Formats: sequence, C-alpha cells, structure tokens
Amino acid sequence: MYQALLTRRYLTSKLMPLLAMAAVLLSVATILITWSVMGGFLNALLSSGRTLIGDAFIAWPNVGFAYYEELAEDLEAHPRIEAAAPVIETYGMVRLPDDRVELIQVTGVEVASYSAVTGFGDTLWWKPLDKPTRKDKDRRDPRLDPNNRPVLTEFVENGLAMTRPDPDTGVPLPAGILGVEVTGLNYRTSGGIYIPINGQRALPSGGIESLDLFMPRNGSVGLTLLSLDSTGKPTDPVSRVLPIANEFQSGIYEVDSKTLIAPLDLIQRMLRMEEARRVASEGADDPWGYETDPQTGELRPAVPKATAADPARVTTVLIRGVPGTTPDEVAAIADSIYEQFAARHAGEVPDAFSIQISTWEDRNRTMIAAVKKETALVLVIFGIICFTTVFLVLAIFWSMISEKTRDIGILRALGASTPGVAWLWLRYGAAIGVVGAVLGLVAGWLIVTNINAIHDWLGEVLGPWLSGVLSTISGWFGGDPILINLVIWDPRVYYFVEIPRKVEPGKAAIVFVAGVLTCVLGALIPAVRSARMDPVKSLRFE
Amino acid sequence: MTSHSEHILAVSGLRKTYKLGRVPVPVLHGVDMAVKKREWVAILGASGSGKSTLLHLCGGLDRPDRVKGDQPKPKIVFEGRDIAAMGKRDLDRYRSRNVGFVFQFYHLLPELTVIENVTVGAMIRHGRFGYMAHRGESEKRAKALLESFGLGHRLRHRPAELSGGERQRVAIARALINDPDLLLADEPTGNLDRTTGGAILDAIAEHRARTGLTILMVTHDERIAERADRVVRLADGRVIEGSLPAEIGPSDPEIEVGTMPTPDAPGR
Repeated sequence: MYQALLTRRYLTSKLMPLLAMAAVLLSVATILITWSVMGGFLNALLSSGRTLIGDAFIAWPNVGFAYYEELAEDLEAHPRIEAAAPVIETYGMVRLPDDRVELIQVTGVEVASYSAVTGFGDTLWWKPLDKPTRKDKDRRDPRLDPNNRPVLTEFVENGLAMTRPDPDTGVPLPAGILGVEVTGLNYRTSGGIYIPINGQRALPSGGIESLDLFMPRNGSVGLTLLSLDSTGKPTDPVSRVLPIANEFQSGIYEVDSKTLIAPLDLIQRMLRMEEARRVASEGADDPWGYETDPQTGELRPAVPKATAADPARVTTVLIRGVPGTTPDEVAAIADSIYEQFAARHAGEVPDAFSIQISTWEDRNRTMIAAVKKETALVLVIFGIICFTTVFLVLAIFWSMISEKTRDIGILRALGASTPGVAWLWLRYGAAIGVVGAVLGLVAGWLIVTNINAIHDWLGEVLGPWLSGVLSTISGWFGGDPILINLVIWDPRVYYFVEIPRKVEPGKAAIVFVAGVLTCVLGALIPAVRSARMDPVKSLRFE
Repeated sequence: MTSHSEHILAVSGLRKTYKLGRVPVPVLHGVDMAVKKREWVAILGASGSGKSTLLHLCGGLDRPDRVKGDQPKPKIVFEGRDIAAMGKRDLDRYRSRNVGFVFQFYHLLPELTVIENVTVGAMIRHGRFGYMAHRGESEKRAKALLESFGLGHRLRHRPAELSGGERQRVAIARALINDPDLLLADEPTGNLDRTTGGAILDAIAEHRARTGLTILMVTHDERIAERADRVVRLADGRVIEGSLPAEIGPSDPEIEVGTMPTPDAPGR
C-alpha cells in the first residue's frame, strides 16, 4: 500500500523519473513508427498485388488450358468467390517509340472480368480528376485541367474497352494499356504525379529526332510474341503494332515499368491459343486424292474438312474472393473446384495434381520475404538501440535510490520488509514504464497518422528555413550557401507517393509490453540494491 | 523483587563492532540492561558512547555481534522473545508492531503530507489488503494523535512547511500510530531549541501518562535525562550506571548475564 502512495508521489514530484519516462516514450514511439511504416510498406505491397491478380490464381503456364470459361463459371458459382478472370500471362518484346526494345510481361485480359477481379479500371492513370492528389499542392497534374476533361474521358473509355479509334477511319482498333513507367515519356514529379514529356529518338545519322507524342493519344508500340504450339514448343515470332489506349499505375514499380496489358483475344491469336478447327482430308495421305463435289456431282481434289474444334486456351484464371475471405481460403476453394473440373475434362486439361493453384503472396514469396526480413532487421537494429533505455533507466534509478537512501532507512525502521522495499522501486519502474509507454504509443500513433504531413513540413518549411539561417550565417563568414534537404521520402525516388503506414493493435501491444519491461528491467538492479541496504547506514546517510 | 514478567525489555551481553574500511571499531563491549513496562528510561552518554547503537539493536534495526565458542550468546529479550535470534520477517513485524522509532532529525518522508507520514506506518503494518480494512480506523487514529500534539490544522501540509518542533511531533505521531509497546527515541530534542524540546518532552510525557507507554530514550543532555524514571549511563560502550531497575537484582533469571558492570570491569 505504501508502495502505491510513494510511487504516486515520486512520479509527481521528481524530475528524474520524467527523464526515464522520456527515454521509454522515445523508444516506444521509435519502434512503433518504424514497425508501422515498414508494416505499411508490406501492406501496400500486398494490396497492390491483390490489385494485380486478385486473391489467388489457377495457372498452367506456356501451353495454357482450355474450357476456362466453364471453369470461371464454376468458380463464380461458389458463394465465397466474387469473380474469376481468364487471362494469358506471357513474355514478349516491345519496341518503344524511341526505338528501345525491352522485355515485357504481357497480360491478355477481358476487361470486364479482369476489372471485376483486380480493380484494373481504377489503376488507369489518364483519367479526369476533380481534386488534386495529396502531394500535388501546386496542382500541376494535367488531369486536373478542365480543358483536358473530354480527352481524358475518352482515354478512360478507350482503356476500359481496350480499343483506340483509327485516326483516319475512326474504326476502333484493339489497343493495349501500358505501365506508366514503361516508355519513360512520363516525368514523375516530387508531387507523385506524371507530366508527359517529349521523347527523343537517336537517328542512324547521329542526329536526334524529337518525338511529339502522348501515348494514349497517338503512341503505339511494336509487340513481338513467340507463339507456342499445343505441346509448348516455340514456333515462330509474331509481331504487330499495338496502339496504346491508356496507361496504368498499379503501385509496384516492377510491374508498372515492365507490363503491357492487351486484349485477350488478340494475345490468343498472336500466341495461337484461340479456338481453332481441327481439319482432315479424305485420303489426306494421298496428295492426288479426289472427291465428288456434292453440288455439281463432279470430281475435284479432296477439300479438308473440319473434324473437331480445338478450344481456345488461357494460361491463368485469376480469382477474387468475397470480402472477408483470405487468399488461402480462396486458393483452397479453387483447388476443390478445379479437381471436379479436371475430372470432367480428363485428358483435355491438366490434372488437378499438376495444376498450379496459389496466391499472389506465394508467387511473390521471395520479394515479400525480403521486405519482411528487412522489417525484422530494422526492428532488431532499433530494438538494440532502444535497449540502451534499460541502462538509462538503470542509471536514473541508481541515482534516485542513492538520493532516497534515507527514505529507505525510514521505511525499514517502520517495519518495511526487504522485498517490500524492492517492490517499491520495481513498481515505480513499472509505473514509469506504463506512463512512458502509453505516451510513447500516443506519440507514435500521432506521428504515424500524420507522418506525411510532418514529412512535408520538414521538407517544405523546416528544410528551407534551416537552409536560409545557415546560409546567412555562412554568408557572414564568406562561405557558400548551405542547403538542407529534409525530404527523405521523395516520390521521385520512392514509388509510393505517400509514406505507407499501418498501426496494428497487436504490434502496438507488443511494443507497449516491451516498453514497460524495459523500464522494469532497468529498475531491477537498483531495486535489489535498495532492498539490501543496511537500514542503520541508510538512516545515517547524509 | 519484581517479577521478570514486568520487564518489557532485557538485554544482555550485547557487543557491536562496526568496520571502518578494514578496521574493526568496537562500539558496544557487552551491555546488560533491563526496562520495566511503563518505565521511561533515558540512556545517557557522550557522543560515540554507543547509545544510538544500543537503541538500534533494541529496535531490531541492527544485530549484535555473533559470539564464538562457548561464550554466552547476546540476548535482546522483548516480552519473552529474543529478537537477536529472530528471522528477518519476524524482525520486520517486530519493528512495525511492537516498537516505534523517533529520530533526532525527524526522518519524515518529504513527498508525503503530515497525515500520510503518520499513516504510512499503519500501511506497512497491515499490508496492502489489511490496510484497506483498517484504513478508516488508522486515519482516525492518526488524526487523533496529530490533534493531541496540536497539529490538527496541519494534516495536509508537507514536512518542508513545518517547523522543527512540528516535524518532531509528526514523527512521534508516526511512531505511535500502531500503538507500540515501546517507544525508542534517539535524541528526540537534539535538533530543537530548549523551549521546543521541552514541549516535545511534555507531549511525550502526556501521552505516556494517558497510555502507560514504555519509553527508551537516548540523550546526551543530563537535564533531559532527568525527565525519565531512570537513567542508564553509557560510556565507551559500557553501562556504568543504572542498568537495572532498582528493585531488580542480578539473580533475576532473565537478566542473569546482566550483572552491573563497572568501568573497571568490562562487560562481556
């Protein structure tokens, strides 16, 4: 009981515990901010992945599999599956307007089903905006210009239809959607927006030609795919010019700089995965074979006849679960549905054992694991730094106990036991830890919640102000101006426009407990020392 | 002859040596002494004579030297229990229930108010849950004690806001909060002027008159010692006069080892 009273009084009447509290506060806030930002980064990565392929997918790369529409219907019939989208995923070569040739990931999609699974429509970049994005404070985004609204609206319509009208005839031509970072013709500003710029093309003569084009308006790429036969062997490369209807930004640089989305039927044709008739001629083995023309009754060379149809194929079916369903659950459902599907089409589609059914997280396990490892590494480093708090608290408590030696003697004279005295200081440490950790959580939460505003203020206000002050001082001594740049998270460098963050209650609880334990641990040795003090010597302490 | 059951405290063969670095400094050379119930005994001695050490030993704050071989063990018998042989827990209980300390320099806890300084003794005695049950009673007793010492209007003040005399009265009230059998006072007026010191002794005397409290008081002032029923003189760690109540003889079994030592015959 006396411990509670003294803890309360020591907390409110001493400066020293405030220092210990500040140490815990800073440690807790630092760890929470780090964990939240790294966790937010991972979360942003995962949600971007979901934007790209949904929750799970069924894939049979290269050759692909048939009857995908039936499979998609089966999947969508399940109450926990929201949508399924057949797509083709392959690699190709793309020739860009400046004549660079790049390896590119090509995804052939049906816009409606693909949008239902991935939210693809929202990733289209060139669309009219009413409000500027948060970092675009000087409203430089061309999408805000009311004059551009009609043309941007047309770009959106083109993007969703995956067509672009022929400039001469007005006939809609199949068109692709390019990742916004592919061409290098969009300049990414510090506000995280894109400004279209003119490209340049090196001429064989050594000169440079300026490219006056804007991809969604008049830009095209040359796409070359290597088609495969039904056994998966490459046959011959197929090339065509593909107009660009719009550009997309998924949120992952690796995707936005290396992906082209094109109409599914177009890619099927280029890869020879479209529906085809299987034909045979009577007497096919005999090049001189004849048959009777049923209309004229005359003999003629044998004409090939369709004997069967090879159904169209896709390499992948993307699947999205209803809200609340985890990717793993969706993959499990897909597994069971595919098993029935494969049984119905035994010999025509890959068997259930061989097919790849997985989640986006599984597919990108290496990248995600790297981010997780980085998060863990940063936490360990910061954890070690924050562990110094233990020694700081220890030093502060050691000093406080020295100062309070006589009080300890008084308490012992009044009958306080040695564990009771030790508990007084442990309890005091715990109280400081709890208050410090709570304040640290609040501070951390406030900083994390406003981290982008704080970052902006550092970059836009404090940095220039410091630069001004230091340059003035430097000028007095004849020195050069000093520039202080406090913009750490520059959208020109980092892909996410804003610093991602996510405060998770579970993590906050762990940080809180660790903060309190840090303080208790720091108080432990001084507490034991106080308990072992000789009461007579303590009373005589000057 | 007075029965030994009337002795509240009897000590025998007390030796105590402190160490200054590696140098042993003997303080008590074998002290024998007895105190009757309701008696006010003053231990009188010069500075360094060992009187505070004797008080600390009697209060269970310190332990006497251990003896080697077949020498008689030192004893501090309080109401039939040898506190020199008690374990730590029993000693803590003894300090919280049976004795109350008053120090020369008051030793109040500066962060607590007057009433909290007094009730803290009750908190320690009753423990966390026990105090919840005794809280009202303890606070009532603390207020009554403080009022009886003229501090009823100072309950919420901090020690720093009180005069020396007031602080010492608070310290006395704290010592008495658990209704101890024995008050151990170490130069209770040593830090006060004569008038204030006299008032403090009056307050103690009044309380003793009301309650029959036994008092063992250390002082170096003859005039203060005169207020006591009996004076035990201590010099160089030995009792030179008045170790036993007048009516108790050395043959008393409880204080068998407490034969009257003389300056020429060092105690054991």
